[in-house]
Amino acid sequence: MLDKAIRLLLSLLLVYAVLVSTHLGEFWPFSIFPMFSKAGNPWTRALVREVPPSDTLRWEAVYELDKLPGEPFAMNQVGINTNDLANFVSKNKQWSRDKIGGMRSYFRSRLDDQAFIVYKVQGRLSSAGGDSVIVEYMPLLLMKPDTTLVNPNI
Amino acid sequence: MIKRFFNNLFRLDAEETKGEYLFHRIFETIVIYQVIYYAWTWGVYLPRLGEMILPLGIANYLDVSFMFSPSFAYANALLITLFAVIGYIRKWRYSYLAAVLLMHLHYAARFSQGEISHGSNFTGLALLVFALAFAFFKEDAKRRRVAFGMFLFFVGTGYTSAACSKLIGTGIGWIDGRHLYLWIGERAVDKLSQNGQFDLNFLQQLILSNQTLASLILFFGLASEFLGFLMWFRKTRWVEGTMLIAMHIGVSLSMRIAFNSYLILLIVISYPWHRLLDQLLARWPDSVVNRYLEQKVAATP
Repeated sequence: MLDKAIRLLLSLLLVYAVLVSTHLGEFWPFSIFPMFSKAGNPWTRALVREVPPSDTLRWEAVYELDKLPGEPFAMNQVGINTNDLANFVSKNKQWSRDKIGGMRSYFRSRLDDQAFIVYKVQGRLSSAGGDSVIVEYMPLLLMKPDTTLVNPNI
Repeated sequence: MIKRFFNNLFRLDAEETKGEYLFHRIFETIVIYQVIYYAWTWGVYLPRLGEMILPLGIANYLDVSFMFSPSFAYANALLITLFAVIGYIRKWRYSYLAAVLLMHLHYAARFSQGEISHGSNFTGLALLVFALAFAFFKEDAKRRRVAFGMFLFFVGTGYTSAACSKLIGTGIGWIDGRHLYLWIGERAVDKLSQNGQFDLNFLQQLILSNQTLASLILFFGLASEFLGFLMWFRKTRWVEGTMLIAMHIGVSLSMRIAFNSYLILLIVISYPWHRLLDQLLARWPDSVVNRYLEQKVAATP
Protein backbone atom coordinates (compact mmCIF):
# COMPACT_ATOMS: atom_id res chain seq x y z
CA MET A 1 0.00 0.00 0.00
CA LEU A 2 2.79 2.43 0.97
CA ASP A 3 4.76 1.54 -2.15
CA LYS A 4 1.74 2.28 -4.31
CA ALA A 5 1.31 5.69 -2.62
CA ILE A 6 5.02 6.47 -3.13
CA ARG A 7 4.84 5.48 -6.82
CA LEU A 8 1.77 7.67 -7.28
CA LEU A 9 3.43 10.68 -5.63
CA LEU A 10 6.67 10.30 -7.59
CA SER A 11 4.77 9.85 -10.86
CA LEU A 12 2.82 13.03 -10.15
CA LEU A 13 6.06 14.83 -9.30
CA LEU A 14 7.49 13.72 -12.66
CA VAL A 15 4.38 14.90 -14.54
CA TYR A 16 4.58 18.18 -12.59
CA ALA A 17 8.25 18.66 -13.56
CA VAL A 18 7.70 17.81 -17.23
CA LEU A 19 4.66 20.06 -17.61
CA VAL A 20 6.13 23.13 -15.92
CA SER A 21 9.48 22.75 -17.70
CA THR A 22 7.80 22.59 -21.11
CA HIS A 23 5.20 25.33 -20.46
CA LEU A 24 7.28 28.23 -19.10
CA GLY A 25 6.69 27.26 -15.49
CA GLU A 26 2.89 27.20 -15.62
CA PHE A 27 0.43 24.39 -16.21
CA TRP A 28 -2.46 24.81 -13.76
CA PRO A 29 -2.58 23.60 -11.07
CA PHE A 30 1.16 23.05 -11.43
CA SER A 31 3.49 26.02 -11.19
CA ILE A 32 7.01 26.93 -10.18
CA PHE A 33 5.36 29.91 -8.43
CA PRO A 34 7.56 32.58 -10.01
CA MET A 35 5.53 35.57 -8.78
CA PHE A 36 7.69 38.48 -7.62
CA SER A 37 10.83 36.56 -8.58
CA LYS A 38 12.29 39.44 -10.61
CA ALA A 39 12.59 42.12 -7.96
CA GLY A 40 13.51 45.68 -8.85
CA ASN A 41 12.38 45.38 -12.47
CA PRO A 42 10.15 48.14 -13.82
CA TRP A 43 6.46 47.24 -13.90
CA THR A 44 3.66 48.08 -16.30
CA ARG A 45 0.03 48.44 -15.24
CA ALA A 46 -2.99 50.29 -16.62
CA LEU A 47 -5.32 53.05 -15.52
CA VAL A 48 -8.49 54.49 -17.05
CA ARG A 49 -9.78 58.06 -16.88
CA GLU A 50 -13.27 59.10 -17.82
CA VAL A 51 -13.47 62.24 -19.99
CA PRO A 52 -16.23 64.07 -21.88
CA PRO A 53 -16.63 62.60 -25.43
CA SER A 54 -15.73 65.97 -26.98
CA ASP A 55 -12.29 66.07 -25.32
CA THR A 56 -9.05 66.07 -27.26
CA LEU A 57 -5.81 64.71 -25.88
CA ARG A 58 -2.08 65.50 -25.96
CA TRP A 59 -0.28 62.17 -26.42
CA GLU A 60 2.37 62.94 -23.86
CA ALA A 61 3.54 61.16 -20.72
CA VAL A 62 2.46 62.60 -17.38
CA TYR A 63 4.39 62.00 -14.17
CA GLU A 64 1.89 63.16 -11.55
CA LEU A 65 -1.45 61.56 -10.91
CA ASP A 66 -3.06 64.93 -10.14
CA LYS A 67 -2.25 66.17 -13.65
CA LEU A 68 -4.18 63.45 -15.49
CA PRO A 69 -7.25 64.74 -17.37
CA GLY A 70 -10.81 63.74 -16.47
CA GLU A 71 -11.93 61.69 -13.50
CA PRO A 72 -10.66 58.32 -12.22
CA PHE A 73 -12.69 55.41 -13.56
CA ALA A 74 -13.05 52.29 -11.42
CA MET A 75 -12.91 49.06 -13.41
CA ASN A 76 -15.37 47.66 -10.88
CA GLN A 77 -18.01 49.73 -12.66
CA VAL A 78 -17.70 47.49 -15.72
CA GLY A 79 -16.96 44.31 -13.75
CA ILE A 80 -13.49 43.86 -15.21
CA ASN A 81 -10.46 42.84 -13.17
CA THR A 82 -7.72 45.46 -13.55
CA ASN A 83 -5.14 42.67 -13.99
CA ASP A 84 -6.82 41.76 -17.28
CA LEU A 85 -6.74 45.38 -18.42
CA ALA A 86 -3.08 45.77 -17.39
CA ASN A 87 -2.01 42.62 -19.18
CA PHE A 88 -3.96 43.56 -22.29
CA VAL A 89 -2.13 46.89 -22.32
CA SER A 90 1.35 45.56 -21.50
CA LYS A 91 1.40 42.40 -23.65
CA ASN A 92 -0.33 43.73 -26.76
CA LYS A 93 2.13 45.15 -29.29
CA GLN A 94 -0.13 45.88 -32.28
CA TRP A 95 -3.43 47.70 -31.85
CA SER A 96 -5.27 45.96 -34.69
CA ARG A 97 -9.00 46.35 -35.27
CA ASP A 98 -9.62 43.11 -33.31
CA LYS A 99 -7.52 44.20 -30.34
CA ILE A 100 -9.23 47.59 -30.22
CA GLY A 101 -12.55 45.76 -30.43
CA GLY A 102 -11.46 43.54 -27.52
CA MET A 103 -10.58 46.58 -25.43
CA ARG A 104 -13.83 48.38 -26.32
CA SER A 105 -15.76 45.27 -25.32
CA TYR A 106 -14.61 45.83 -21.72
CA PHE A 107 -16.41 49.19 -21.73
CA ARG A 108 -19.33 48.38 -24.06
CA SER A 109 -21.94 49.10 -21.38
CA ARG A 110 -20.60 52.67 -20.94
CA LEU A 111 -19.40 53.72 -24.38
CA ASP A 112 -22.74 55.06 -25.66
CA ASP A 113 -22.29 58.43 -24.02
CA GLN A 114 -18.87 58.39 -22.35
CA ALA A 115 -15.24 58.49 -23.44
CA PHE A 116 -12.27 56.86 -21.77
CA ILE A 117 -8.52 57.29 -21.89
CA VAL A 118 -6.55 54.12 -21.25
CA TYR A 119 -3.14 54.83 -19.73
CA LYS A 120 -0.14 52.54 -19.73
CA VAL A 121 1.44 53.14 -16.33
CA GLN A 122 5.07 52.26 -15.80
CA GLY A 123 6.94 52.35 -12.50
CA ARG A 124 10.65 52.09 -11.80
CA LEU A 125 13.14 52.84 -9.08
CA SER A 126 14.89 56.17 -9.50
CA SER A 127 18.19 55.70 -11.37
CA ALA A 128 19.65 58.46 -9.19
CA GLY A 129 19.60 56.03 -6.26
CA GLY A 130 17.62 56.53 -3.09
CA ASP A 131 14.29 54.90 -2.54
CA SER A 132 11.95 56.94 -4.74
CA VAL A 133 9.68 55.28 -7.29
CA ILE A 134 9.07 57.09 -10.58
CA VAL A 135 5.65 56.52 -12.13
CA GLU A 136 4.95 57.42 -15.76
CA TYR A 137 1.40 57.65 -17.16
CA MET A 138 1.41 57.29 -20.96
CA PRO A 139 -1.91 57.73 -22.81
CA LEU A 140 -2.46 54.76 -25.10
CA LEU A 141 -6.05 54.84 -26.34
CA LEU A 142 -8.80 57.43 -26.43
CA MET A 143 -12.08 55.53 -26.79
CA LYS A 144 -15.08 57.61 -27.83
CA PRO A 145 -18.63 56.42 -28.55
CA ASP A 146 -18.00 56.25 -32.30
CA THR A 147 -14.24 55.91 -32.65
CA THR A 148 -10.98 54.92 -30.98
CA LEU A 149 -7.77 56.91 -31.35
CA VAL A 150 -4.43 55.19 -30.74
CA ASN A 151 -1.36 57.08 -29.52
CA PRO A 152 0.50 57.81 -32.80
CA ASN A 153 3.87 57.70 -31.03
CA ILE A 154 3.75 54.01 -30.08
CA MET B 1 15.15 6.33 5.28
CA ILE B 2 13.10 7.22 2.19
CA LYS B 3 10.40 4.77 3.28
CA ARG B 4 10.43 6.32 6.75
CA PHE B 5 9.93 9.74 5.24
CA PHE B 6 6.95 8.63 3.16
CA ASN B 7 5.53 6.59 6.02
CA ASN B 8 5.62 9.72 8.15
CA LEU B 9 3.93 11.65 5.33
CA PHE B 10 1.10 9.20 4.57
CA ARG B 11 0.67 7.39 7.93
CA LEU B 12 -1.05 4.51 6.12
CA ASP B 13 -0.41 2.01 8.91
CA ALA B 14 -2.18 4.01 11.64
CA GLU B 15 -5.80 3.36 12.56
CA GLU B 16 -8.17 6.16 11.54
CA THR B 17 -9.76 7.85 14.55
CA LYS B 18 -13.12 9.60 14.60
CA GLY B 19 -11.36 12.94 14.94
CA GLU B 20 -9.20 12.18 11.94
CA TYR B 21 -12.18 11.10 9.85
CA LEU B 22 -13.97 14.33 10.76
CA PHE B 23 -10.86 16.42 10.07
CA HIS B 24 -10.34 14.87 6.63
CA ARG B 25 -13.98 15.41 5.71
CA ILE B 26 -13.76 19.06 6.83
CA PHE B 27 -10.62 19.48 4.72
CA GLU B 28 -12.33 17.89 1.70
CA THR B 29 -15.44 20.06 2.25
CA ILE B 30 -13.33 23.23 2.19
CA VAL B 31 -11.56 22.13 -0.99
CA ILE B 32 -14.85 21.29 -2.73
CA TYR B 33 -16.37 24.60 -1.60
CA GLN B 34 -13.37 26.44 -3.09
CA VAL B 35 -13.63 24.44 -6.33
CA ILE B 36 -17.31 25.36 -6.73
CA TYR B 37 -16.57 28.97 -5.77
CA TYR B 38 -13.91 29.29 -8.47
CA ALA B 39 -16.00 27.40 -11.03
CA TRP B 40 -18.80 29.96 -10.75
CA THR B 41 -16.63 33.05 -10.21
CA TRP B 42 -14.73 32.26 -13.41
CA GLY B 43 -17.86 31.00 -15.17
CA VAL B 44 -19.70 34.27 -14.62
CA TYR B 45 -16.64 36.31 -15.63
CA LEU B 46 -15.81 34.42 -18.83
CA PRO B 47 -18.55 35.92 -21.04
CA ARG B 48 -17.06 39.38 -20.43
CA LEU B 49 -13.90 38.41 -22.29
CA GLY B 50 -13.55 38.73 -26.01
CA GLU B 51 -9.94 38.23 -27.04
CA MET B 52 -7.32 35.56 -26.30
CA ILE B 53 -4.05 37.22 -25.23
CA LEU B 54 -1.97 34.52 -23.54
CA PRO B 55 -2.52 30.77 -24.00
CA LEU B 56 -1.97 28.79 -20.80
CA GLY B 57 -1.96 25.02 -20.33
CA ILE B 58 -4.38 23.29 -22.69
CA ALA B 59 -4.91 26.61 -24.53
CA ASN B 60 -1.49 26.05 -26.13
CA TYR B 61 -3.07 23.19 -28.10
CA LEU B 62 -6.75 24.03 -28.24
CA ASP B 63 -8.48 27.35 -28.97
CA VAL B 64 -10.41 27.79 -25.73
CA SER B 65 -12.06 31.06 -26.77
CA PHE B 66 -15.33 29.11 -27.23
CA MET B 67 -15.48 29.28 -23.44
CA PHE B 68 -16.19 33.04 -23.71
CA SER B 69 -19.70 32.08 -24.80
CA PRO B 70 -22.08 32.23 -21.80
CA SER B 71 -23.58 28.82 -22.58
CA PHE B 72 -20.20 27.02 -22.54
CA ALA B 73 -18.95 28.97 -19.50
CA TYR B 74 -22.05 28.23 -17.42
CA ALA B 75 -22.30 24.63 -18.65
CA ASN B 76 -18.70 23.98 -17.62
CA ALA B 77 -19.25 25.58 -14.21
CA LEU B 78 -22.32 23.38 -13.76
CA LEU B 79 -20.46 20.22 -14.80
CA ILE B 80 -17.59 21.00 -12.42
CA THR B 81 -20.10 21.50 -9.60
CA LEU B 82 -21.88 18.24 -10.42
CA PHE B 83 -18.68 16.20 -10.64
CA ALA B 84 -17.36 17.76 -7.42
CA VAL B 85 -20.57 16.90 -5.55
CA ILE B 86 -20.73 13.37 -7.02
CA GLY B 87 -17.14 12.80 -5.90
CA TYR B 88 -17.88 14.19 -2.46
CA ILE B 89 -20.79 11.83 -1.90
CA ARG B 90 -18.73 8.92 -3.30
CA LYS B 91 -20.97 7.98 -6.19
CA TRP B 92 -18.31 7.70 -8.88
CA ARG B 93 -14.59 7.25 -8.19
CA TYR B 94 -13.45 9.14 -11.31
CA SER B 95 -15.70 12.10 -10.64
CA TYR B 96 -12.99 14.29 -9.09
CA LEU B 97 -10.74 13.49 -12.06
CA ALA B 98 -13.41 14.79 -14.44
CA ALA B 99 -13.84 17.88 -12.24
CA VAL B 100 -10.12 18.72 -12.23
CA LEU B 101 -9.82 18.34 -16.02
CA LEU B 102 -12.79 20.65 -16.58
CA MET B 103 -11.35 23.08 -14.03
CA HIS B 104 -8.14 23.19 -16.05
CA LEU B 105 -10.14 24.18 -19.16
CA HIS B 106 -12.02 26.77 -17.09
CA TYR B 107 -8.74 28.24 -15.77
CA ALA B 108 -7.09 28.32 -19.21
CA ALA B 109 -10.03 30.31 -20.59
CA ARG B 110 -10.42 32.63 -17.59
CA PHE B 111 -6.73 33.53 -17.44
CA SER B 112 -6.24 33.89 -21.17
CA GLN B 113 -5.92 37.67 -20.77
CA GLY B 114 -2.24 37.69 -19.85
CA GLU B 115 -2.55 37.59 -16.08
CA ILE B 116 -1.20 34.37 -14.57
CA SER B 117 -3.13 33.97 -11.34
CA HIS B 118 -1.79 31.64 -8.65
CA GLY B 119 -4.62 32.14 -6.15
CA SER B 120 -6.34 28.87 -7.07
CA ASN B 121 -3.31 26.59 -7.58
CA PHE B 122 -3.49 24.93 -4.16
CA THR B 123 -7.22 24.37 -4.52
CA GLY B 124 -6.55 22.76 -7.90
CA LEU B 125 -3.70 20.67 -6.46
CA ALA B 126 -5.93 19.49 -3.62
CA LEU B 127 -8.63 18.48 -6.09
CA LEU B 128 -6.04 16.71 -8.25
CA VAL B 129 -4.57 14.68 -5.36
CA PHE B 130 -8.08 13.70 -4.27
CA ALA B 131 -8.82 12.70 -7.88
CA LEU B 132 -5.71 10.51 -8.07
CA ALA B 133 -6.20 8.95 -4.63
CA PHE B 134 -9.78 8.06 -5.55
CA ALA B 135 -8.78 6.69 -8.94
CA PHE B 136 -5.93 4.51 -7.62
CA PHE B 137 -7.10 3.45 -4.15
CA LYS B 138 -10.30 1.64 -3.19
CA GLU B 139 -10.39 2.07 0.59
CA ASP B 140 -11.80 5.41 1.64
CA ALA B 141 -9.57 5.89 4.70
CA LYS B 142 -6.45 5.21 2.60
CA ARG B 143 -7.63 7.59 -0.10
CA ARG B 144 -7.94 10.37 2.47
CA ARG B 145 -4.46 9.74 3.88
CA VAL B 146 -2.82 9.46 0.44
CA ALA B 147 -4.51 12.65 -0.77
CA PHE B 148 -3.59 14.55 2.38
CA GLY B 149 0.04 13.33 2.32
CA MET B 150 0.45 14.24 -1.34
CA PHE B 151 -1.09 17.65 -0.74
CA LEU B 152 1.36 18.36 2.10
CA PHE B 153 4.21 17.30 -0.14
CA PHE B 154 3.22 19.55 -3.04
CA VAL B 155 2.42 22.54 -0.82
CA GLY B 156 5.91 22.29 0.70
CA THR B 157 7.47 21.84 -2.73
CA GLY B 158 5.53 24.82 -4.08
CA TYR B 159 6.76 27.24 -1.42
CA THR B 160 10.38 26.10 -1.66
CA SER B 161 10.10 26.39 -5.44
CA ALA B 162 8.79 29.95 -5.04
CA ALA B 163 11.84 30.88 -2.92
CA CYS B 164 14.20 29.25 -5.44
CA SER B 165 12.52 31.23 -8.26
CA LYS B 166 13.30 34.43 -6.36
CA LEU B 167 16.90 33.45 -5.66
CA ILE B 168 17.44 32.46 -9.30
CA GLY B 169 15.50 35.44 -10.70
CA THR B 170 17.12 38.11 -8.52
CA GLY B 171 19.58 36.58 -6.07
CA ILE B 172 19.93 37.29 -2.37
CA GLY B 173 19.52 41.01 -3.17
CA TRP B 174 15.81 40.19 -3.52
CA ILE B 175 15.38 41.26 0.11
CA ASP B 176 16.35 44.90 -0.65
CA GLY B 177 13.52 46.92 0.92
CA ARG B 178 13.29 49.23 -2.12
CA HIS B 179 11.82 46.32 -4.06
CA LEU B 180 8.88 46.38 -1.66
CA TYR B 181 8.46 50.11 -2.34
CA LEU B 182 8.22 49.35 -6.04
CA TRP B 183 5.58 46.65 -5.45
CA ILE B 184 3.57 48.89 -3.12
CA GLY B 185 3.57 51.51 -5.90
CA GLU B 186 2.39 48.87 -8.40
CA ARG B 187 -0.41 47.71 -6.14
CA ALA B 188 -1.42 51.34 -5.48
CA VAL B 189 -2.00 51.78 -9.24
CA ASP B 190 -3.95 48.50 -9.34
CA LYS B 191 -6.20 49.51 -6.46
CA LEU B 192 -6.75 52.93 -8.00
CA SER B 193 -7.63 51.31 -11.31
CA GLN B 194 -9.97 48.73 -9.75
CA ASN B 195 -11.75 50.91 -7.19
CA GLY B 196 -11.19 54.47 -8.42
CA GLN B 197 -9.43 55.38 -5.17
CA PHE B 198 -6.54 54.26 -3.02
CA ASP B 199 -5.16 55.04 0.43
CA LEU B 200 -2.01 53.68 2.04
CA ASN B 201 -2.74 51.71 5.20
CA PHE B 202 -0.77 52.04 8.44
CA LEU B 203 1.69 49.22 7.66
CA GLN B 204 2.37 50.54 4.16
CA GLN B 205 3.09 54.01 5.55
CA LEU B 206 5.41 52.47 8.14
CA ILE B 207 7.24 50.42 5.50
CA LEU B 208 7.65 53.42 3.19
CA SER B 209 9.23 55.40 6.02
CA ASN B 210 11.66 52.66 7.08
CA GLN B 211 13.72 50.80 4.49
CA THR B 212 15.26 48.47 7.10
CA LEU B 213 11.80 47.31 8.13
CA ALA B 214 10.95 46.72 4.46
CA SER B 215 14.09 44.57 4.05
CA LEU B 216 13.31 42.59 7.21
CA ILE B 217 9.79 41.86 5.97
CA LEU B 218 11.16 40.61 2.64
CA PHE B 219 13.76 38.49 4.43
CA PHE B 220 11.06 36.88 6.57
CA GLY B 221 8.97 36.18 3.47
CA LEU B 222 11.85 34.61 1.58
CA ALA B 223 12.93 32.48 4.58
CA SER B 224 9.34 31.30 5.17
CA GLU B 225 9.03 30.21 1.56
CA PHE B 226 12.45 28.58 1.40
CA LEU B 227 11.64 26.44 4.44
CA GLY B 228 8.45 25.22 2.73
CA PHE B 229 9.78 21.66 2.72
CA LEU B 230 9.32 21.63 6.51
CA MET B 231 5.62 21.08 5.78
CA TRP B 232 6.58 17.49 4.90
CA PHE B 233 7.46 16.65 8.51
CA ARG B 234 4.95 16.28 11.33
CA LYS B 235 7.20 17.87 13.97
CA THR B 236 8.02 21.03 12.01
CA ARG B 237 4.74 21.46 10.15
CA TRP B 238 3.06 23.74 12.68
CA VAL B 239 6.11 26.06 12.90
CA GLU B 240 6.46 26.36 9.13
CA GLY B 241 2.69 26.62 8.67
CA THR B 242 2.57 29.48 11.18
CA MET B 243 5.41 31.27 9.36
CA LEU B 244 3.60 30.90 6.02
CA ILE B 245 0.31 32.11 7.51
CA ALA B 246 2.14 35.16 8.95
CA MET B 247 3.78 35.74 5.56
CA HIS B 248 0.42 35.67 3.74
CA ILE B 249 -1.11 38.07 6.27
CA GLY B 250 1.94 40.32 5.75
CA VAL B 251 1.51 40.18 1.95
CA SER B 252 -2.17 40.95 2.38
CA LEU B 253 -1.48 44.03 4.53
CA SER B 254 1.63 45.39 2.78
CA MET B 255 0.75 44.64 -0.84
CA ARG B 256 -3.02 44.19 -0.63
CA ILE B 257 -2.82 40.80 -2.31
CA ALA B 258 -5.12 38.36 -0.59
CA PHE B 259 -4.38 34.67 -1.03
CA ASN B 260 -7.48 33.67 0.93
CA SER B 261 -7.71 30.11 -0.40
CA TYR B 262 -4.08 29.47 0.54
CA LEU B 263 -4.56 31.01 3.97
CA ILE B 264 -7.58 28.85 4.78
CA LEU B 265 -5.92 25.67 3.51
CA LEU B 266 -2.74 26.47 5.47
CA ILE B 267 -4.73 27.00 8.67
CA VAL B 268 -6.35 23.59 8.10
CA ILE B 269 -3.26 21.55 7.20
CA SER B 270 -0.64 23.09 9.50
CA TYR B 271 -1.97 21.99 12.88
CA PRO B 272 -3.02 18.63 14.37
CA TRP B 273 -6.71 19.52 14.48
CA HIS B 274 -7.67 15.84 14.52
CA ARG B 275 -6.21 15.49 18.03
CA LEU B 276 -8.31 18.39 19.27
CA LEU B 277 -11.39 16.87 17.63
CA ASP B 278 -10.65 13.50 19.27
CA GLN B 279 -10.34 15.18 22.67
CA LEU B 280 -13.62 17.04 22.16
CA LEU B 281 -15.38 13.86 21.02
CA ALA B 282 -14.01 11.93 24.03
CA ARG B 283 -15.55 14.53 26.31
CA TRP B 284 -19.06 13.72 25.04
CA PRO B 285 -18.99 9.95 24.31
CA ASP B 286 -22.79 9.66 24.04
CA SER B 287 -23.32 12.60 21.72
CA VAL B 288 -25.11 12.19 18.38
CA VAL B 289 -21.96 13.32 16.52
CA ASN B 290 -19.94 10.64 18.31
CA ARG B 291 -22.39 7.89 17.41
CA TYR B 292 -22.58 9.08 13.80
CA LEU B 293 -18.78 9.14 13.50
CA GLU B 294 -18.49 5.72 15.11
CA GLN B 295 -20.72 4.32 12.36
CA LYS B 296 -18.75 6.16 9.67
CA VAL B 297 -15.33 5.03 10.88
CA ALA B 298 -16.57 1.46 11.41
CA ALA B 299 -18.09 1.41 7.94
CA THR B 300 -14.90 2.63 6.33
CA PRO B 301 -12.76 -0.26 5.08
